[in-house]
Amino acid sequence: MMRDVIAAPRPGLDFRRHYGHHQSPAIRAGGLIFCSGMLPIDPDTGERRHGTLTEEAHCIFGNLKLLLESAGSSLDRLVQVHALIYDSIEYDVLNRVYRQYVANGPPARTVWTAQSEAGFKIQLDVVAAA
Amino acid sequence: MSLSRTVVAPLSGLDAAAALGQPASTLVRGGPFLFVSGLAAVDPATGRLMRGTIMGETRMILTNLRQLLEAAGSSMDKVVKVNVLMASMLEAVPMNDVYVRFFPDPPPARTVCGARLPDGCRVMIECTALA
Amino acid sequence: MTETLARSVIEPQNPRLNASRNANLPHVPGIRIGDYIFLSGMVPVDPETGERFHGPIGEQVRMTLGNMRHMLESAGTSLARVVRIHVVLADIADMAEMDRVYREFFPVDPPARTAWSMQLRFGNGCEIECLALAG
Repeated sequence: MMRDVIAAPRPGLDFRRHYGHHQSPAIRAGGLIFCSGMLPIDPDTGERRHGTLTEEAHCIFGNLKLLLESAGSSLDRLVQVHALIYDSIEYDVLNRVYRQYVANGPPARTVWTAQSEAGFKIQLDVVAAA
Repeated sequence: MSLSRTVVAPLSGLDAAAALGQPASTLVRGGPFLFVSGLAAVDPATGRLMRGTIMGETRMILTNLRQLLEAAGSSMDKVVKVNVLMASMLEAVPMNDVYVRFFPDPPPARTVCGARLPDGCRVMIECTALA
Repeated sequence: MTETLARSVIEPQNPRLNASRNANLPHVPGIRIGDYIFLSGMVPVDPETGERFHGPIGEQVRMTLGNMRHMLESAGTSLARVVRIHVVLADIADMAEMDRVYREFFPVDPPARTAWSMQLRFGNGCEIECLALAG
C-alpha cells in the first residue's frame, strides 16, 4: 500500500515553504486522510492570522475545508478531531464556533489543552475519510 | 473478515516501553498501519532515558524510530503522521532542525504541541506508519 | 485507487455514558470508519448515575477504562482490539498509579500508547482516547 501526499491547495497552506516546518499538509493512506495540525494561517499569503479563538477557529476550518476538498474529501467526512486550545477556559467558545462546521454529523473529538506555535489559541489535528 | 492486530516485537534495546516499565507495546500492527507508541529519548545501550538538549533527545528518538520501523519491515518513508509533544514550544525550531534530517521529502503529516511530559523529557514523538 | 470507507456513529448501550448527547456537545462518542473505530476522549463518569467522578486517580482511571470497555463492546469490539491509546493526566505525578490500574485492562499485548499531562476540564484527573479495530 502506498501513501499519497496531499499538496497544499493554496500557496499559503504550504507551511514547509513559509515556515520551514518539515511536514506535508496531509497524507492519504488506507482510506484515511491524516492532516497536519492546522493553524490560523492566511491560505493565500501564508501570514499568521492571530485573533480571538473564534476568529482563529474560523480560519482553521476554512483551511481544512480547502485542504480536504482538494483531496476529494470534506468536513462532513471528518472522523476524528483533536482540538488543541491554549486554555480550557475557552472551552465553551470552542464549542460555539466548532458546532457551526460539524452540523452534518460531527466526528469523534478530544479537546487537548496544549500550547500551539506562535501563541495561537487553537490548532486542529484531524483525520478524515478519503 | 476483520482487520488483524498484532504486536510487533521491537529489536532488543529499542523496546522503549519495556525499558521504562510501561504497559504499552512499542509497535502495534492494525490492518495496514503500524502504530508506534510515544517515544522518549531512551538510550538503547542502557535502556535509560537520556537527559540532554532538545536536539539530542530528538536525534535519539528519531534514530530509534528509524531502526524500529526498518526492523518491522517499514521505513521512515512510510510514515503517514507524526505527533510531536514538547515540554516547551520555544524548542520547536531546533527540534525541526533535527527532524528534517530523518524524514524524506515529501515528509509525513505532523502536529506539534506543548504539554507536560513525564520524567523531565523535553520531547516525545509518536507516529503512524504503513506496515 | 482511493477506497471510500463507510462512516457510522458509535453510541454506548448505556445512555448515561453518552456525554455527547447528554451535554449537547458537537461530537459523538465514536466514529466507525471502515474497520477502524475512533473514540472521543473519555473521562471518569459514573455509569450508574451519569455524574462526574472525582475520587482517587486510580479509581478515576478504572472507571474511565471500564466505560471505554463498555463503549467498545457496544460497538461490537473490545479492549483487546485497541491499537493506539492516548492517556492524558491532569497531574504528571499520577503516572505510576495510572499504570498500576491500566495494566488490569490491558494485561497482554497492550496497545501502542502515549501518556502525558495537560490541563483538564471540570476537575477530571484523566482523559483517555483510543483507536480500535472493529471486532
